[in-house]
Amino acid sequence: MRELEDELIERVAEALRQPVHLDAALDVRVMAEVRTRPLRRSNWFLRSRTIRVTPLGALALAAGVAALVLGTAFAALRLRPAPATVSAASAVPFVLVAPEARSVALVGDFNDWDTAATPLRATGLSGAWVVTVPLPPGRYRYAFVIDGMRWLPDPGAPRAPDDDFGTPNSVLTVGT
Amino acid sequence: MAGHISWEHESDAALVRRVLAGDVEAYAGLVARYRDRLGRYAVHLLGNTADAEDALQETFVRAYRGLAGCATPERFGAWVFRILVNRCRTMGAQRSRRERVVMSNESMLGEADVAHPADRQAWAEAIRWALDRVSPEQREAFLLKHVEDLSYQEMVEVTGVRESALKMRVKRACETLRALLAEVERA
Repeated sequence: MRELEDELIERVAEALRQPVHLDAALDVRVMAEVRTRPLRRSNWFLRSRTIRVTPLGALALAAGVAALVLGTAFAALRLRPAPATVSAASAVPFVLVAPEARSVALVGDFNDWDTAATPLRATGLSGAWVVTVPLPPGRYRYAFVIDGMRWLPDPGAPRAPDDDFGTPNSVLTVGT
Repeated sequence: MAGHISWEHESDAALVRRVLAGDVEAYAGLVARYRDRLGRYAVHLLGNTADAEDALQETFVRAYRGLAGCATPERFGAWVFRILVNRCRTMGAQRSRRERVVMSNESMLGEADVAHPADRQAWAEAIRWALDRVSPEQREAFLLKHVEDLSYQEMVEVTGVRESALKMRVKRACETLRALLAEVERA
């Protein structure tokens, strides 16, 4: 009986392995689209890599973020609300508390995910790193890069729902 | 013109390197190489050709945009498959399955010659009807295992799902298909 059942599954699989008909113009459409789009310049964030985020480190990070939200050290700065909306052509501040980081960069749709384009500046207080980026209205996916290796979403912003490459991004909406 | 260039003798890794070096047209070689296999998966997973072609086009464009992140260019196929699986999940959740309404119409199935599974067309219709009744997660696992012939290790890599869960999904899918198609064959 089992052999007959397995034979049935094999016949199903065999039928499904037959070629399917696809629009012959599909390749043309793909190529037409890629010719208009630049390649992302950096590749580090899609590679397999070891991310060392200890629970203690995560707690420290969360505590740092909470401290910022409470305005104890950086009342003038704020983390992204969910999702943030700012006025048109506003300078958008990005803040990450990472006391152990040697460098922090901001990557996103707005800088073609270039790890060298938008470094954050260490404030020297509470391990906070900041940068302000002028952004036109739109929806952006972004993340922080710690020490040139670690990919980290913004703890204070929602995750981007569409993350095909398995790497976490945050999402920001700049309003008109 | 890309259509006049033969990429057959170039490895995936060589084509990926050419694209990354600025030869955009070399990407046509990768598209041509994988379109049929990826398209087959998308058609069976999503249940209709229109959505499958959309998913496939988006997959190839996203893969191109993120090509620098293909850490092992010689395994471009597995990498782009992972992107497709994710796109199909997203689209499967977002879109209505337009053709499914037609293909899963049981009266239509009744009109087909399902009593004679040797009739290839009727058998194909019956399979689509049955596959449509398998949950998306189980259908995904079944297609990857039995149609695409991936190992469980490869399936873990492509789906991000634990092996034990994948085995259970394949088992459940097989059980459902057996029950439904056995019923069809008895009809």
